[in-house]
Amino acid sequence: MTPERMAELVARWVRFYTRDLPEPVAQRRIDEIDADLHDHIAHERANGAGEPRIAIGIASRMARGLAADAAWRGHQSKIAARPSTREKTMKVSRSVYRSAVRVALGVALLLLVPLVVTLTSDGEAWSAFDFVAAGVFLAAIGVVIELAVKRVGNLTLALGIAVVGVLAGVAGEADDAPGLVLLGLVLIVSACALGLRAWTRPAQHGR
Amino acid sequence: MRRKPGTLLPLETEILEVAQSMLRSGQATFHGFGLAHAMRDQNGSRSLTSHGTLYKALGRLEELGLLSSHWEDAAAVEGRPRRRLYALTGEGARVAERARAGKTVAPLAQLTSEPA
Repeated sequence: MTPERMAELVARWVRFYTRDLPEPVAQRRIDEIDADLHDHIAHERANGAGEPRIAIGIASRMARGLAADAAWRGHQSKIAARPSTREKTMKVSRSVYRSAVRVALGVALLLLVPLVVTLTSDGEAWSAFDFVAAGVFLAAIGVVIELAVKRVGNLTLALGIAVVGVLAGVAGEADDAPGLVLLGLVLIVSACALGLRAWTRPAQHGR
Repeated sequence: MRRKPGTLLPLETEILEVAQSMLRSGQATFHGFGLAHAMRDQNGSRSLTSHGTLYKALGRLEELGLLSSHWEDAAAVEGRPRRRLYALTGEGARVAERARAGKTVAPLAQLTSEPA
């Protein structure tokens, strides 16, 4: 077999193990090996090596590198399979959007009950302020539930939820509404749990 | 060969050492076959490093920031396939220097944290 035929065989092998890899990665490997094979043949011929010896040398280099070729392909496939930063950002954005929609729908559904009662009953009537306050508290609860389910959150969010909880407690005390005070306490305890978790998370990763 | 996390394989250290000696002799860049040839000469070995092993190691060293690479100018090609040219980075030169001095190659995390 001539060195050129052997080089063609190696080139086919390179095209085989680079198939389905990202085009720049595959093309770089193909081009590098092409140049290597050309340089190899030219160098050996210039040094007076016989044709069979050159062909055997090329075959030997290919055969000894088969395992490394397979390992390289595996590594490159793993890199190609990783989602890009843009994909990750889009995924997070979609997740935040869906959470917001779920919380908004939940709050709207719950507020329908007092709305219907206000519209149909003469005795029980909520003011606009009541609806806004209830909406804020319910939304805070919804956010806590979403964060708990997704096991995420940070200190700023925990602080915000704690503030809403304190406001609920204060409003409940002033209005003599034990339910509102209880709601405030639940929010404060949730905020503490969330804050503690967010505070300890980096230390756990660092180990 | 199984790699300890953050360390170089003997072949990778050898590549850096050969690249360092090429740099000292005035050759700032090198290509795959040229490197394999220089390694064979330095080792006194009969065979050239295999394609797969050589280019996998070069890629790994580039990922670690110890080598940089670029395609040679089309004007310099003269009818042959164009070569990918590699060069030692500052960090790569430091690691090669340590290897040459006979020290054990320290974990890369420590090496890369040193000032340039």
